[in-house]
Amino acid sequence: MGAEKKPEKFVVSIGPQHPALKEPGHFEFAVEGEIVTSATARLGFVHRGMEKGTESRTWVQNLYLMERVCGICSAVHAMAYAQGVEKLAKVEVPPRARAIRQLIAELERIHSHLLWLGVAAHEGGFDTLFMLSWRDRETVMDLLEAITGNRVNYSANVLGGVKIDIDEVKSAAILKGMDFLEERTRHYMKVVTEDETFLGRTRKIGTMTLEQALRLGSVGPTGRASGVPYDVRVDAPYAAYQDFPVNIVTDTAGDLEARFVVRIKELYESYRVIRELVDHMPAGELTTRIPRRIQEGEVVSRVEAPRGELFYFLKSNGTDMPERIKVRTPSLCNWGSILATAVGHRLADMPMILAGIDPCFSCNDRMILVKRGNDQTVWTWEDLRRYGIEYYK
Amino acid sequence: MDIDQKLQAGAEIVKEWVISTSNPEVNRVDLVVAPENLKKAVAAMLDSQWGYLSAITGLDHPEYLTDETGVKKVDPDRGNLELLYHFSGGAAVLTLRVTLPYSEAVIDSICDIDMAAQLYEREAAELFGIEFRGAPSTDHLVLPDDWPVGVYPLRKAFTGLKKES
Amino acid sequence: MNLSLSPLVELLFFPGGLVLLASGLVYEFVDRKLVARFQNRIGPRWFQPLADVIKLLAKEEVIPAGVVKGLFIFLPIVALTSILTAALYVPMFGLKPAFSFPGDLVVTVYLLSLMTLCIGLAGANTEDRFSLVGATRALTQMFSYEAPFLLALLGPAIALGTWNIGQINSAAGNNLWFIIAQPFGFIAAVIGLMGKLELPPFDAPEAETEIVAGALTEYSGRGLALFRIGRDVELVIGLTLIASFYLGGLANPLDFLWKTLILLLVTAALQSLFARLRIDQTVGLWWRIGSIMVLLQLLAVVVGRLIAPLIPFLSSGG
Repeated sequence: MGAEKKPEKFVVSIGPQHPALKEPGHFEFAVEGEIVTSATARLGFVHRGMEKGTESRTWVQNLYLMERVCGICSAVHAMAYAQGVEKLAKVEVPPRARAIRQLIAELERIHSHLLWLGVAAHEGGFDTLFMLSWRDRETVMDLLEAITGNRVNYSANVLGGVKIDIDEVKSAAILKGMDFLEERTRHYMKVVTEDETFLGRTRKIGTMTLEQALRLGSVGPTGRASGVPYDVRVDAPYAAYQDFPVNIVTDTAGDLEARFVVRIKELYESYRVIRELVDHMPAGELTTRIPRRIQEGEVVSRVEAPRGELFYFLKSNGTDMPERIKVRTPSLCNWGSILATAVGHRLADMPMILAGIDPCFSCNDRMILVKRGNDQTVWTWEDLRRYGIEYYK
Repeated sequence: MDIDQKLQAGAEIVKEWVISTSNPEVNRVDLVVAPENLKKAVAAMLDSQWGYLSAITGLDHPEYLTDETGVKKVDPDRGNLELLYHFSGGAAVLTLRVTLPYSEAVIDSICDIDMAAQLYEREAAELFGIEFRGAPSTDHLVLPDDWPVGVYPLRKAFTGLKKES
Repeated sequence: MNLSLSPLVELLFFPGGLVLLASGLVYEFVDRKLVARFQNRIGPRWFQPLADVIKLLAKEEVIPAGVVKGLFIFLPIVALTSILTAALYVPMFGLKPAFSFPGDLVVTVYLLSLMTLCIGLAGANTEDRFSLVGATRALTQMFSYEAPFLLALLGPAIALGTWNIGQINSAAGNNLWFIIAQPFGFIAAVIGLMGKLELPPFDAPEAETEIVAGALTEYSGRGLALFRIGRDVELVIGLTLIASFYLGGLANPLDFLWKTLILLLVTAALQSLFARLRIDQTVGLWWRIGSIMVLLQLLAVVVGRLIAPLIPFLSSGG
């Protein structure tokens, strides 16, 4: 037995297939009894080569590819990409389109944070909270479906604007949904800050000080829970955040409880700003024309995804295809915080610490490589596409 | 505007290593530095608390061959790689750019001064074939363990692996 | 309504054997359905536990490399056998226990613990990391709840002056219900049963988000089916024991049904109310609070018995 041969290093590996992680990532925790003494990570199990893929697609096609970087925060990817392309083409997006973009992004944040709340509760063995928060999440999913036609990958953004509009009926539905969700969220806030057994799993667990968070480059709610005051929505307002500002939410505790509290308070902010958006939606056009060939140049496009700062670097060579698109997703910044805070905690806390940053594996990995059985063939994108077409003929 | 002042302050921090400066768009400044000075410049940026390292972008600038039929093709052996170290401070983005020829794609790792850079560096190392001197780990991070040595998917010369049947 | 049947029928069919297994599946269904409704889910259909068992029995049993093969096959059988044996000393379905002798309470509790022991051994038998961690946790948890659980059952036994389950059962019905006389003992017994069955929030030994299925990770097919039936039957026995000790005894099947179902409702509610306790929190809870609570209760019972003859009022309550 491994334990007898090397008693000083008993490694428990979590992933790539493991019930705690619904997405593939591999972690090895060396444990002494229940205490974790070291942690390593291995990513890339769902690397799909998207950055490479963008170089052989047109600017318009890429919009739909980028939307599929991540299934949970798809709208922000499309938004970051569209904003970058618009900056490259020096096109101004109409105010109504910008407000709708922000509306979709905030609705998506609600869905993502509620999803996270459920997942994190499940990791802590609190399935009731998991089930109830996901039930309430259906409210926002239904709203998104009513507005855009899709539950995920909303395809609301197009280059130069948005392709969906908000009418009276939808506005009323959104306001009603926000009221319901706000009431439920206040209840969840009470649960995560007052339930004794749950606090036993979150308070003073996975604590990251402000200095650590800054050194590890944490972003998003993970960083803000440790007091890192970064929020792109506030620092560098995009979409309509200039006119409909949000307040930055930070905490000083830096533990798992703080990450719950910060995310729930961000939900309040989202409800508030969505109500404002719906009440004061600017009138006007939804799109502007954008050329098919984008002039040469390089831009950086940053947006605040539910998980933190999403960074796009776009380089155009003057043709209808990009020269290079670099995506740096927020989860990538936050891995360091897991590996650093894991040591010294109990094995039982690992899933919650892992879930605490709200990791998104598909965001990190962007290339396809399929291996089937003992067949040593490596498949390229093109092969896979052909295979898919053959398979479903 | 205070964002411009912020950018100037940032440029001031690293000015002794800067070869050339450009402003590609509003709220951004690009500073070209020599590869041997990059680590010093990054350290100065981080020490000054101007902002944080947002991302490291790799770029490939291959040279092109024209064969007898007149078709332009990527020369897999000659060209330059470029690394862009993006620092964000509020709305301002300051980028340090270094250019590395294919023949000498080596640069000092900055992992010891910024732990967060490790994942960015490893991504660039695997996808562009840049060696980071002194990097704590050179294992595969995003590519499979049996990925062939010397094949870098984000270089322009890469068009897919051959099927081994 | 204490019928007497031929011993062979009792063993194979009723109340032991088949009917016992069936009741285990029914109670598992009720438990799952209740928890599901508490969590606002629809929950399984009535035949789901049976379907699970049939599916598992039909599946290939994979024996992983590196295990002691005999032990791997043998342990689930021992576990189920010990549970079925324990059922013989308990007033199942409100009937008189099939077998009975003075002090069978200790034997029954011991037989119930064999289940956990078997699970722990089964986990330690394999090379899988999750099994090993699960086995360690299962045994750690056993050592923490076992003493308070036994003491909680001893409370009524000492008060009534007999360690025979059948006699306790019939005597409990004639007295003030022990849930009122010994509330701490009742709480300890219910929570102890939940710990024994590794139900949430005491499911650290099989916490799926940490260690997959805990000690039974490597089990598939028949072995897993036997362990599962064993645990279901253990649930029924545990509920019967607590109902007969603390809820005024089980005089007839109807009594059995409503008392155990109310207990099941309580445990289902507890299961959905709390977040999972870490193993160190479980141990801490039992040794710091559980044990002391039960010991104080026991002390009160002993003192009560000593002074009871002096005060006529107390002699009826124990």
